[in-house]
Amino acid sequence: MDSYSVKRFGQVVLMRLSSYIIRRLLLIIPVIIGVTLIVFMLTRIAGDPAAAYINEKMSESQIEQVREKYHLNEPIWDQYLYWFQGILQGDWGWSKTDSKPVLDAIAYHFPATFELALVAMVLSVFIGIWLGTKSAIRKDKLFDHGTRVVSLFGVSIPVFLLGLLLLDLFYFQLHLFPIHGRISESYVVAGTVPNGPTGFYLIDSLVAGDFRMFLDVVWHLILPAITLSLASIAVILRIQRNSMLEVLGLDYVKTARAKGLDERTVINVHVRKNALIPTTTVIGLTFGALLGGAVLTESVFAWPGLGRWSVSSIGRMDTASILGFCMLVALVYVLVNLIVDIVYAYLDPRVRLG
Amino acid sequence: MIRGSGWGDILVTANEKMSNVRVKDKLSTEHRLIDNIKAELKPRLKEWRNSWSMIRNNWTAMAGVIMVGFIVFVALAAPLLAPPHGDRDPLQIPADFQFPKPPFQSGEPIFGTGANGIDMYYGIVWGARTTVTTSLYVVLTAALIGLIIGAIAGYYGGKVDEILMRLTDIFLSMPALIMAMAIASILSRSLENMMFALIIVWWPAYARLIRGQVLTIRESTYVEAAKAIGAKRNRILFRHIVPNSISPLIVNITLDLGAVALTAASLSYIGFGVQPGYAEWGRMISDGQNWFMSIVYYNGVAYNPWWVIFFPGIMILIFTMGCSLIGDGLRDILDPRSRR
Repeated sequence: MDSYSVKRFGQVVLMRLSSYIIRRLLLIIPVIIGVTLIVFMLTRIAGDPAAAYINEKMSESQIEQVREKYHLNEPIWDQYLYWFQGILQGDWGWSKTDSKPVLDAIAYHFPATFELALVAMVLSVFIGIWLGTKSAIRKDKLFDHGTRVVSLFGVSIPVFLLGLLLLDLFYFQLHLFPIHGRISESYVVAGTVPNGPTGFYLIDSLVAGDFRMFLDVVWHLILPAITLSLASIAVILRIQRNSMLEVLGLDYVKTARAKGLDERTVINVHVRKNALIPTTTVIGLTFGALLGGAVLTESVFAWPGLGRWSVSSIGRMDTASILGFCMLVALVYVLVNLIVDIVYAYLDPRVRLG
Repeated sequence: MIRGSGWGDILVTANEKMSNVRVKDKLSTEHRLIDNIKAELKPRLKEWRNSWSMIRNNWTAMAGVIMVGFIVFVALAAPLLAPPHGDRDPLQIPADFQFPKPPFQSGEPIFGTGANGIDMYYGIVWGARTTVTTSLYVVLTAALIGLIIGAIAGYYGGKVDEILMRLTDIFLSMPALIMAMAIASILSRSLENMMFALIIVWWPAYARLIRGQVLTIRESTYVEAAKAIGAKRNRILFRHIVPNSISPLIVNITLDLGAVALTAASLSYIGFGVQPGYAEWGRMISDGQNWFMSIVYYNGVAYNPWWVIFFPGIMILIFTMGCSLIGDGLRDILDPRSRR
């Protein structure tokens, strides 16, 4: 191909990519409407949505006024439309669990979960890919068997059991790590909890210039992050190992070896990038498991995030909070998978953007 | 045949001959039918025997078979291993004991007692029954629903496919545990409702899987041939396409048995599954976790009550690990590419 057609080819791919992204973004809309519609119907079947706004001191007429105000006397379809309109206008309802608007509650809990999930994600991607690559290179050696045991253990053990065992060993027996929370009580009592712009304690403590606090945050983060990431490490490791083995058996790798390239160059230049392609697809899927696991991890480690908040709001039949949580999770999950698909299409030109 | 001559006799012999022929014919059709069935079954039987010997040679899969077999045995033999008391619901763990009693003390429950004075041994044995029935019921129902919907979507295509697949999109847009949590939250806390929630969460993945299979098989030459001899659509779908898309289904069912057991235990752990005191391993861990990191005294000796978590935990681990080992083994066996 001459330079012109290469350029032209690139343009076509980019155009296709952008129209693909737009199409996928548009597809998110019916999915979100579907999810919220289902959850909305379920919560309406289960309990009285007015309960969030009513207390014992109210008279009948006041209760009636509440129903009027929040459109709870109207047909369920209209109620859903009102709710969705509220979502678009930034009014997500009142969270009974936190005694503040749902959007504020989410803004409060989101950074805690996101920080934990992000750290666990980074850990599992890097450790998983590293272990998978290495065990494929040393197939059927001791290292390979070791990682196989790790991955089997990781997919089989319940997240909450792992969390409890780690807590028992490292907190109760060895006194090495704290039992719960994102930061030591002393900082909370002293009122010096990082109050920065992002809500991520890791970043905020650095912004505040307090390195001891940063270390404290890391110290609190280690056990939950390990608990959360082990299952994803196991999955990513396994996929990476298999795809490495597949690529290692291809003809062009044999050619590369036959040319007399040393093993390191063969692995780094010819095998690794191509083996990464199937792994990217599972990263999006493991993210879902990570969100589910976050609920359990947060319950074990008393982590003040969305998961624990959702568990307690479900326990109290706090309709607005449940809906907000489900909507947010669906949105994040769908977006992450979209990003993964785009990365995949970028890495593998053979993918048809259909 | 010794008979006098005459028309009547001729007629009789003719009749006999006819009926003989008919009987013979009938017999031969029956034989042929049986032969047909045998001929059709033979390669399958051979295949199964082949697969079984491959599982036997694959020691990790064999370890999985033993692990799952152990749990299934405990589940089946529960009334013998831990006889229920009187006419109580056998799945309610008897709480007739003092807490704490460490395991392996003479005259006490063998695995000790848990929170509220439950008999750990009893709970673990009957918990096997809960877990095995839950996973089997959920996975098989979800697979059946997914099989039907996926086959229809993949085979008929067009608008039907579009609608069904957008429906699965909605269900797959949330992590399984969270979706099950949201559904279980509105139902009362019971095993049946938990299974219902899990089925709703689990079928779309099967529908997707089967649809993909059907789309590939639909284009194959033998389906073309069946079409050419005028086979009806439903016959092609359920006689040719569905049976041939079964093998990835089997692998997924095996792997999902473990995954459902994990999710069910997780739901119970965070309190959206069964009621406290029910023989379910996740619930037992949840009930016991407050004691797990504490010191208790029994006969003046201090204990850290590890047993309240350890025994139910190890049972979950055995079951899920076994399922995952069998699933991996089956994947290798049923995928002809990996047989070499």
